[in-house]
Amino acid sequence: MDDILRALAGAVLQAVGLLAVAPLLRGGIKKMKARMQTRKGPPLLQGYYDLAKLLRKETVRSEVASWVYALGPRLYFAAAVAATTLVPVLIAAAPLEGAGGILGLVGILALGRFALAAAALDTGSPFGGMGSSREMTIAALAEPALMLGLFTSALAAGSLDLGAVVRSELVPGVLFRPSDILALSGLFLVLIAETGRIPVDNPATHLELTMIHEAMVLEYSGPDLALVEWASALKELLYITLLIDLFVPLGIATTVAAAPLALSAAAWAAKVVVFGVVITLVETTNAKLRLFRVPELVAVSLGLGFIGLAIRFL
Amino acid sequence: MIPFAVSALVPAALIAHALAVAASLVSSRHAAWCRRIAFGGSALASALATSAAAVVLVSGQPIAGVLFAHSASALVVDYVVTPLSAWFLLLLGVVAIPVAIYSIGYMAHAVRPSRTPVVSVTFNVLIAAVSVVFVVNDVIGFLFAWEVMSLATAALVATEHETRTTLRAAYLCLVMSHVGTGALAAAFFTLASAAGSMSFSAILTGHVVSGPARDLLFALFFVGFGVKAGVIPLHIWLPEAHPAAPSSISALMSAVLITAGIYGLFRVCAFGLGTPTIAWGLTFLGLGALSAILGVLYALTQNDLKRLLAYSTIENAGIIVLGLGAGMTMMATGKPELAVVAIAASLYHLMNHAAFKGLLFLGAGSVVMATTARHLEGFGGLLRRMPWTGLFFLAGALAISGLPPLNGFASEWLTFQALLLGFEFVPGLTRVNFPLVGALLALTSALAAVCFVKAFGITFLALPRSAAAEDAHESPAAMLVPLAMLTIVCLALGLFPGAVLMVLGRVTTSLPGLADASTLARGPWSMAVGSGPFAQVTPAALGVAVVGGLSVAALLTGITHATRAIRRAPTWGCGGTLTPRTEYSATAFSKPLLMVFREIYRPTREVEALADVSPYFPSEVRYRVEIEPTFERHLYDPLIRGVMQLAERMKVLQAGSLHAYLGYVLLLGAALLIWLGGL
Repeated sequence: MDDILRALAGAVLQAVGLLAVAPLLRGGIKKMKARMQTRKGPPLLQGYYDLAKLLRKETVRSEVASWVYALGPRLYFAAAVAATTLVPVLIAAAPLEGAGGILGLVGILALGRFALAAAALDTGSPFGGMGSSREMTIAALAEPALMLGLFTSALAAGSLDLGAVVRSELVPGVLFRPSDILALSGLFLVLIAETGRIPVDNPATHLELTMIHEAMVLEYSGPDLALVEWASALKELLYITLLIDLFVPLGIATTVAAAPLALSAAAWAAKVVVFGVVITLVETTNAKLRLFRVPELVAVSLGLGFIGLAIRFL
Repeated sequence: MIPFAVSALVPAALIAHALAVAASLVSSRHAAWCRRIAFGGSALASALATSAAAVVLVSGQPIAGVLFAHSASALVVDYVVTPLSAWFLLLLGVVAIPVAIYSIGYMAHAVRPSRTPVVSVTFNVLIAAVSVVFVVNDVIGFLFAWEVMSLATAALVATEHETRTTLRAAYLCLVMSHVGTGALAAAFFTLASAAGSMSFSAILTGHVVSGPARDLLFALFFVGFGVKAGVIPLHIWLPEAHPAAPSSISALMSAVLITAGIYGLFRVCAFGLGTPTIAWGLTFLGLGALSAILGVLYALTQNDLKRLLAYSTIENAGIIVLGLGAGMTMMATGKPELAVVAIAASLYHLMNHAAFKGLLFLGAGSVVMATTARHLEGFGGLLRRMPWTGLFFLAGALAISGLPPLNGFASEWLTFQALLLGFEFVPGLTRVNFPLVGALLALTSALAAVCFVKAFGITFLALPRSAAAEDAHESPAAMLVPLAMLTIVCLALGLFPGAVLMVLGRVTTSLPGLADASTLARGPWSMAVGSGPFAQVTPAALGVAVVGGLSVAALLTGITHATRAIRRAPTWGCGGTLTPRTEYSATAFSKPLLMVFREIYRPTREVEALADVSPYFPSEVRYRVEIEPTFERHLYDPLIRGVMQLAERMKVLQAGSLHAYLGYVLLLGAALLIWLGGL
């Protein structure tokens, strides 16, 4: 019973903590991007202001829509929150260890995506359908690459549990391997595709023919939109944390004590910032790809995954 | 050990079917009573057979008995409900009982009254034949039941035989079934003559044949059973025949009849011919992966709801065969402790597929009944008109997309684990196949999600796209209860993977060379694979986490919106008015994937603009897109041409002259005498 309570407490703390910092990451990337383009950019905390504003607004829903439309953002948000409990962040074990590991994480995120994509079809707007179709297409294409990258790491640890993977990386003598570079590049491309960043999608655009994720959620407003935005930010932070866990977990705490936890938090934050900088660089130096060029990018990611797996284990 | 009454359960089920047949014939003048008696009786009979299966799975002891004995010819057809048979029999019950209940209501609308008796009788015959196929222990009895099953299926497919396509589908189904039965008869008789016995217990020991003859028999059995299982490239009849039948029959065909083929693949190909070779395992693994990926790709582009579901059946059959193939490869390389994971995954997915595909086909049946259409582009907005059907269909769609905490997730999780273990522990280059197949499986399951967002979204959401969809009504309660039953089964199979594996432990221990699958269970809620304690999944915990997330969302929106009403406003119509014609269509939804995988689909596109005044002001634009039927065109067409040419050549022998025929008889007689004399 004590174990269960401790796991639940950990899960709640981690979910609340990640929810609290997620908008900061988006704000940070926006700010850095603006600075690189010699603009001033919105304040760092703009994400929070937006969420607070949206949550206070009136709920407006389409006359055509059914309950699926209301469920979509809620399930999307819930899935992202649930996913946070499956990833080790500060301690080398996920709060809900044994609930599902890597495949559980992928499944939960797919559940959220399914709900939002179905909900997007509910208003009858052509934009919703277009976004839904494109989002599902890209996610489907990215899935094998994601799975292959995760498999490479899981095989090294002999387990599909993220905590076990992290702990196996922490064993002294395990250094950075060449195959890790390939697997990391492959998974980074997946991260770009799944979080709707340039060159796959542009989170800042509302130009009708190029939108993917934004088209899908175009009809949402008020609190519904707040949930979608928050969940998207959380998902992005989650993917970055996942990459940190798989490839550079160094510094993560193995015991629950104040000093290691503080160190771990600092290390994690620094690594997230590095990833944020890389994403900003990719976003500012690339142009958005045409939709039908995206499969090529994903194929590259898949190829990197295969080569990584091959040179690691054959 | 087993009390006498238990061994009477299977014959009792068959007698119940016979009684239902007789009673429905007697009452054939009253269509309503005929339906109630026939389908009610069928449900009762299935319950009897299911209880036999339950007894075997609980006790682990097989039930045996005699079905038919003829003393003059010394023909005895006996049956044994082994744990493997019991698993399939249980599956039959899980689907056949809801389908029978559904049919009582559904057949009233789907089939004209004059045909009710025929359909009712055939339905009972079919279910009885399938149960016999699963338990019979004798070659003659098996082939007989198999043939009855094929004929009954074809008869049910041809229910609406006025339509040309239906007739063609039934014909194709018959032809392919008989190619399969031919292969089976040849293989079984070869095996029986080598063993000198007709009993399965004697011929399926694995020691009867060896060497190249064994490989040849494997190939024959694979063709015979593969046709029924719908494995690519033997699948071409399936997407024609399954949608052509009345929907409750489609549910039965997709959920149960393909498992008759898979039963054969398990019983004979994998565990009846001795230890499999690596080549066999890789054949199954490869063809399974091919069926899975091509099945889902074809399903994606279908706009006929029932055809979409039929192609998705090919996909799931692929996943099941893929798991079996992985298990066979592991057995071939001497890793039975790994094989049990793959075999359990395969059997688990089999049951899951039966539950959610039965649910989806019955849901599709209600939609077809309410709208009298099958085309997705004519649906829309049905969730408001058919709220319960929509809810159950959504549950089925989530389950088939492999999303936690429903059942599709659990079996796909186990399949992934098996593939991972295969790569880790199988020696040599063989192991490279496993991550390749794993990546394909990941793609398959993600594409299935796209496919079912489309199937659910276009059918049930937004505005109705036709007058028929506008006027649709919810089906009667008698048709909703079976959907609810199957939804509960999907949920239970998903939430209690440990309990399922404990039952599967009975099955795997009864199979030669396999360990106990119940060691994978961690209590009823969880399952775990591997030596470490941490490759574990508890779908219920994932469900609880999602519910937790939902309550956070409710909290966030509740704080600010507890008292404020929701305002309803029209959807922005991009500057025009929003009509059903401006909605995103089913064709458009799958268009990006059609473009991405155009090398596989090879689509042909026709755009035609009709204009009255000037080509710049078209009054009507027609768009047609067609996918190349690859297997029909490049495999079956040359085959058919070859057979026809051969037949043309054979005409020379068939001169039509009596003298020539008498000459043939003489020659044959002489040849036989010489051959027999030489022995």
